[in-house]
Formats: sequence, structure tokens, C-alpha cells
Amino acid sequence: MLNRKGWRKTWTIATFEFLTAVRRPGYLITTFGMPLFLAAYSGIVAIPAYFASRAVREPAVYGVVDPGGVLRLQADVTSSESPMPEAVKRALDATGRGGAVDTEFMESNFVFRPFPSEADARTALAGRKLKGYYVVPADYIAKGVVDIYTPDTINIAGSEARGQFSNLVRQRLLSGRLDELTSARVVSPLKDTRRFSVTKSGGMADGGQAAGIVRIVVPLIFTVLFLMSVLMTSGYLMQGTATEKENKVVDVLLASANPDEILAGKLLGLGGAGLLQIAVWMMFLLVGGIGIVPLLLTSQVEMPWIALALAIPLFLIAFLFFGSLMLGTGSLGSNMREAQQLAMVWSLTAALPMMMMAVLLREPHGTVARVMTWLPFSAGPLIMFRASTDLDFLNWWEVAGSFAVLLLSTWIAIRIGARLFRIGLLSTSRPKLAEILRQARLSS
Amino acid sequence: MVILAFDNIAKSYGDTPALRGVSFDVHAGEIFGLLGPNGAGKSTLIRILMDIIRADSGEVRVFGETRRREHLDRLGYLPEERGLYTKLTVTDVMTYFGSLKGLSRAEARRRSREWLDRVELPHVAGWKIDRLSKGMSQKVQIAAVLLSDPELCVLDEPTTGLDPVNVRLVQDLLLERRRNGRTTILSTHQMNQVEALCDRVAMLNRGRLVVYGEVDEVRRHHSLPEVRVHARGPLPPVPAVASVIEDGEGSWRLMLADGSVPSDALATLVRAGAVIDRFEPMLAPMEDIFLRVVREGTEAC
Repeated sequence: MLNRKGWRKTWTIATFEFLTAVRRPGYLITTFGMPLFLAAYSGIVAIPAYFASRAVREPAVYGVVDPGGVLRLQADVTSSESPMPEAVKRALDATGRGGAVDTEFMESNFVFRPFPSEADARTALAGRKLKGYYVVPADYIAKGVVDIYTPDTINIAGSEARGQFSNLVRQRLLSGRLDELTSARVVSPLKDTRRFSVTKSGGMADGGQAAGIVRIVVPLIFTVLFLMSVLMTSGYLMQGTATEKENKVVDVLLASANPDEILAGKLLGLGGAGLLQIAVWMMFLLVGGIGIVPLLLTSQVEMPWIALALAIPLFLIAFLFFGSLMLGTGSLGSNMREAQQLAMVWSLTAALPMMMMAVLLREPHGTVARVMTWLPFSAGPLIMFRASTDLDFLNWWEVAGSFAVLLLSTWIAIRIGARLFRIGLLSTSRPKLAEILRQARLSS
Repeated sequence: MVILAFDNIAKSYGDTPALRGVSFDVHAGEIFGLLGPNGAGKSTLIRILMDIIRADSGEVRVFGETRRREHLDRLGYLPEERGLYTKLTVTDVMTYFGSLKGLSRAEARRRSREWLDRVELPHVAGWKIDRLSKGMSQKVQIAAVLLSDPELCVLDEPTTGLDPVNVRLVQDLLLERRRNGRTTILSTHQMNQVEALCDRVAMLNRGRLVVYGEVDEVRRHHSLPEVRVHARGPLPPVPAVASVIEDGEGSWRLMLADGSVPSDALATLVRAGAVIDRFEPMLAPMEDIFLRVVREGTEAC
């Protein structure tokens, strides 16, 4: 146990470690540079994508050769000039879905142009005036076979064009045989949909595409940031100690403070640096995310406030857990390289939730997720993940139990870490297991 | 007054004994030499004093009490294997070390500047450590240890690698500490420094205390029965002197006969008509004593 003087030394070490860490170029680059880099990267990706999406809006002209007159095309037909009767449009407007129809049609940019013969269409395609052409044989009704001619180049919009052409064929075949509304439903039975999510308590929330994306992205971001910060901060901890061993500062430190004070000071100082890093990232996220706030509000997505509130205590506990183990194990190495090798097992263990992310995203509250919630190596990120995915399926006793497991494991980890740290600090080379056990018995 | 006492300290690393029942005292206000060949157990003893490692048995008493962690703020330590945080500035490192010894941050910073002046390095205050030369780095480390003005300070080879000017600078700092009543334990292999600086010494060999006492007394004890004489004219033969070697220019070295003491030899020489300007018992250099003790220890094994 530390007395008042011991805490003062711990505070001195913590302040030193904090200031040293936050002034490190690597820390500054990661803390401030990474969000800027990601923003810049997103910009670099988004700008060409925007222009590409604009380019797609230029009409793609497809030829239609219809010797049997199945489709009865007299002139160019575009999606926006869909032969949807005004009555249908009015009916849809009355249900409030007219906008959606407009949107759908505005996004279509295919033009189907009749050609009197296959030879004419081929000439146009060879001259690259067409993206392709369809030949609807006279016996189409009997056989259902349509020939498709495309250029000898890649055309990723081909399947979309086929879909649009199918719609055109359906419309033309049904025209005059069914009433117009039914005809419209046959052509496009799921033209527009509304999604709703029913929570465990029976409440309803928006289940649309935006909400779905947010529900996946938010826990993912949380988990990634959480793990990144824990691992990076633990890495600084290990790096600092290895450097002290390499620089031979250890004896001077040990002549001023005991290993428990040094360990506590390092954990506090670098834990603070890690928290600051998370805070900065969150700030960037908030600033960067202001643009999507209206989207979140209109899509009725609930922000994972509980997960946000749990982030700080979970970070501290997880950092103490992994930090103690990494520091203790890493201090057994005689230099940075050895320290990293020794501590790698903890990095891999900490990354387990990320490795299992595909399974977790599929079933955020499934058996795998529930089991991992109780394991000390994954409990922190899993609580964060599950709390930000859907709080209704996370039982309070699971949270309480996980915290208890984490706290107990962290206490054990600190005890083991402190003992390994003491042994490691005094060893000039990597001690053998027998020596570690012997020293551990002596220092107990 | 005894400021530090080792009482029957024993320590083994596995099956290898490093210290075998070492006991000695260090007095307040003295410069105490801790000597011994490599592997003699000096560093182990120092690390036990600083509570870096624990003795298997025995007791360490400092400031009249059994040594506790709380005493560390009054102790200073410059280890032989030493270094600094290479990526930090000189002032930051010194301030940190001073703060760890209980100084406030502001006071540690003020004293850092003051001590950089004293070791003639005021211009490096803002430099990163890795910009310093080896000698500069060494002086910064010494200053970092001394800035908290420890009552008892252990310096392990503080002048290794320093040029003669800086060796003198460090020696002056140690002498000043003695004048101020501070105690310094100097662990070194440089015997000329021991003769010049130390009041008393302890020499370890193979984990045992083999020499302990005041420097002059130790030298006298380990000296041959030999005197140096400056005289006018030849020296007459006397029974108290077994042999005479002339060094030239009126200087002789006399080996005394068994059972004779220097005062007997002087009296009989004067009675025999020798005109003597200077007569001094020859003290063995610490280096010879060191070599002899180490050799005897090796042969005994």
C-alpha cells in the first residue's frame, strides 16, 4: 500500500509520464493526425466517387430490335418517360409516396431506342453510339428468349440496364390487360418500402438504411477507438520502461521510488494520456459528425449514451488490466525489441474482439458475444459494443458481472504485473522462467 | 557520529554468494571510499543500501534508524551503469530527478539551473540529452544527483571518462560537500583519488570486508618497514637498518631491521653522526595495497 509520501512520488511520476507522452511526436501524430488523415482520405475517396456518380447520370442509350412488335416502341423511351399513367401517379401522390417515385425515376438514366433491324443496331453499337441492344424475337411470348448484344468491353451497369429493360417489357406486356394500379404493382411490387425496428420492450424505432448503417458503424467505431487507445497507451507504457532499461535510468528511479510507486505512476500518467487521446478523437468525431446530426435525429436513431458513459470507466479498467500485464511482461525484456515480443501475446488477446467482429456484427447479442462479455480480455470492448448496438438486449446483470470480472482480473493483473515489473527492472538480460518464479517468491 | 552502518550483510544470487557477512560504519561528514575489484560485491552492497534489492540477512542502519523507504529522499545515488532520458531536455530530466527526491517542481527547476552553472554547463539547459557529449552527460548526471543536497550520497565511479579539468571540478564538489558536513561514499578504482579525497575506506574482495579504516592508518598498516631519508653525506651503518638503497641527490630508502621502528632508526642514525634534513616513513600507495589484497584473496581461493 502507498502512504502519503508514496502517493506524492506516484503523482510526480504520473505527471512526468503524462507530459512526456503527450509531447511525443508519435502521440501527437496519432492523436491529431489520424482524424485529419482519415478526413483527408475520405475526401480523396469521396471526390472522385462524387464525380463518378455524376457521370453515371448521363443517359445510357440501349437499342431495341423488336421485329414482332411485342413492345410496340415508337420512339425513345426513358425511365422518366415511363408510361405510368397520370392516374397512377395521382394515386401514389395521395398516399404520400409520390416523392419516392420521382426520386426513383430521376435516378434512372436509361434510354431504350427502337431500331428497325438488328443490322442497324449493330452498326450503332460498333460506332459506340449505344451501350448495347436487345433483340426481342417474334416468338418471344412463346419462348421467352431475348438476345443481348454488348460491346467487347466491361460494362458494370449492364445488370442495371437489364433490370430496367425487364421493367419496360413487363409494362408493355401488361399494358391494357390489367388495371393501371395493379399493373404498376406487378411491374414493381416493392417499389418503395418503409422499415421499422421493434425493440425488446415492444417500442418502435426507425429501421431504415441510415439507422442500420448508424447502428453498425457506431459500435464499430467505438470498439476500434477503444481498442486502439488501450493498446497504444499500453504500448507507450512498455516502450517507456524498455527505454529506461536501455538508457540505464532504472537504478536512479529505484533509488528514489519503489517499483509499486513507479508502476502506479506510469499507469496513471499514461492512462491519462490515453483518456486525453480518446477525448480528442471524440471531439473530432463530434465536430465531423455535426453534418449527420440531422440525419440521426430524423431517422430516430438513439445515440448510445450508455455506451458513451461506460467508455471512461471501461477504458480505465481495461487499460489498467492490459497495461499492467504488458508492462510487467515487457519489462522482462532487455531492450525494446524483446519487450515487444514478450508483450505481443497481450496485444493479440486484446485484438480478439476485432478478429471476431464479423460474427459479432451478425449476432451482437449471440452466444459468442455473451461468452466474450464475461472474459476479462474481451469484456471491456464487448460491453461497449453491445451497449452501443442495442441496449435492450444487454442485461444489467451482464454489465455488473462483467465489471466484477474485469475489476477482479485487473486487481490480479496489477499484482502479477507489479511483481514481474520488479523482477524485470532488476534484470539486465531476459530472466529464465525458474529465475522469475524464484524472484517472485522472494519479493512476496 | 555514525550515519550509516552495515551489520553482517549477506546476499547470494542463486548459489553464488555476493556478500558474506559484511559489517562496517560510515561517519557523518566524511568521504568514504568503497573499494574492491570487479565482482567484489560493492554494487550489491550499494543497491541493498538504496533498497533496490534486499539482503538475505543483516541490517542496514541509516541516520540512526533501520533503513526504510522514507530515508531514500535523504540519499543520493549515482550508479555505475547510468544514463538519462535521451529525448528530453537537460532541465526536464534534472527537474524530474529532483522532484523524485522530494523537491517541489519549482525548487527542482531552480536548483537545476544553479547546478548547471556549478558544473559549468549553463548553456545546455535547453538541450536534448542526446546532444550532450559523454563528459557533459556525466557532469549533468552528477549535478542531477547532488542538486537535492542529499545527506548521504553514493557515487559509483563519478569521474570515469572525464578529462583532468573536470575530474578536478568533481573532486572540488565532493570536498565542498565534506566542508558542508555532507557524507559521500565514493566507489572507485582510481586509487589516487582515494588518497586525495577519502578519509576512510572499506575494501571488499569476494564478498568479504578485507580492509577497513582511516586511509593513513590503512596505508601505514599495509606498508613495509621502510623510511625515506634526505641527508647530507653518506649514512653510517646502524643495527636498526637492515639495508640502504641510494636514490641519488642525497636521498636514501632504508629498510628497517626486524623489530625496529622508524623512531629507533632515526635516533641511532643521529647518534652515529648522520646529518638528516628529512626523515619520513614510507606509506604504501593504495594501489599497491589494492593489488596485494586482491592477489592474496585470489591465492587464498
